[in-house]
Amino acid sequence: MNEPFCSHAKELIAAYWQRDLSAEDSGRLRQHLESCAECSAEMTALGGLWDRLADLPAPEPSQALDMRWQITMDALSSARPAPRAWLLANFWPRNPAWGMAAAAACLVIGVVAGVNVPRQNPEIAKLRDEVASTREMVALSLLQQQSATERLRGVDYTGRLGNMEPAVVSALTQAVSHDSSVNVRLAAIDALTKASGRPEVLQSLTQALASQESPMVQAALIDYLVDARDRQALGTLRQMASQPDLNPAVLERARFAVQQLSR
Amino acid sequence: MRSVARGDLSGMNAIYENRHRPLFRFFFRLTGRQAVAEDLVHEVFVRMIRYRHTYQSDVATPGVFEAWMYRIARNTLADRHRKLRHETTPAEGEMEMIESGRPTPFDVASKRQDLALLYRALRALPEDKREVLVLARFQGLPYEQIGHILGCEANTVKGRVFRAMKELGAIYSDLCKEKAS
Repeated sequence: MNEPFCSHAKELIAAYWQRDLSAEDSGRLRQHLESCAECSAEMTALGGLWDRLADLPAPEPSQALDMRWQITMDALSSARPAPRAWLLANFWPRNPAWGMAAAAACLVIGVVAGVNVPRQNPEIAKLRDEVASTREMVALSLLQQQSATERLRGVDYTGRLGNMEPAVVSALTQAVSHDSSVNVRLAAIDALTKASGRPEVLQSLTQALASQESPMVQAALIDYLVDARDRQALGTLRQMASQPDLNPAVLERARFAVQQLSR
Repeated sequence: MRSVARGDLSGMNAIYENRHRPLFRFFFRLTGRQAVAEDLVHEVFVRMIRYRHTYQSDVATPGVFEAWMYRIARNTLADRHRKLRHETTPAEGEMEMIESGRPTPFDVASKRQDLALLYRALRALPEDKREVLVLARFQGLPYEQIGHILGCEANTVKGRVFRAMKELGAIYSDLCKEKAS
């Protein structure tokens, strides 16, 4: 073993794996491997692992990413004014002395303005707003998709929004009432936790409770209304609590909810 | 990118088309989460527009754009780590939290036990080692270019790749023994 060369050999081995080895280095590495069993064994074992890493499947982004990007670009291109000719060039003095004086004046004005004007980059602020509105638009688009998986992604996106805009709340309450997938309905109920204080949400969910058939969704809605202390829902809950043919777990929950909200 | 840097944003769509998949894979292999990786990709492209003036094109040096893009990508990921310092990393086998309707890489890998173990070993590598391996092995970047991205010499990158492979081999071997016992 030629120890001083071993550490350099490891760099050469890494270069060999990447097919990034010159003919000269290749010869030096071969020579070293013939005399160093340790480096030779490492190269064989780790080289096999390096090759097998290529067999790991490559993940693919979803269509939602393309949609977000398209919306961002649309928003940016509609917001940006068309490039204009630099009008100042027509007024800039031709005389070098006057040009230097004008440049000095611009510098002074720039420094004074830079110190006094509040630092706010409207483009950055706009981009930030665009990102927020992009998420909202993506969430709304996804909630309209045919695939339940995509609609679940849409519900997931609403969780990342800072504020629940009325359009998003409305889409989620619609999902609770009408979505064909129980999973989407349950996820939408969870997502609406952020808007639990809004009367229109409570009203929609109370109506949805009356028309639900899935016991899991019924139970989730009852819990939601109890957590929100929505006494307006008492009528619907009392009606449910008096239906003996209801799912026993839901019936028990409805009775408990009536007790809680009647206090 | 040079036209974008001059203010013509129409070229960004072509850049997105050519680069969003590699970027997504870079982030996915580092975070293990589809939704997070997609968020990060989007953020990188937004930052490319925001910081386009920092792009210095140099026709004589190949891979300038890649180096610039991956530097933005690394900063974006670092910012995310700073924001979510308390967030737990996904457990092994917990990859692909968001259902995509397609078999996840983990599902596919699970069909072949050896690949599943390799996948777990990769996930168990410390992030700095995983990053250098991802750049070299999966993103297929030359060492010289990785050096520009990481701010070090190409030989240093080669040494790091070797050490990362050695650690990966040790973790993989342990996992194989664990499975056999």
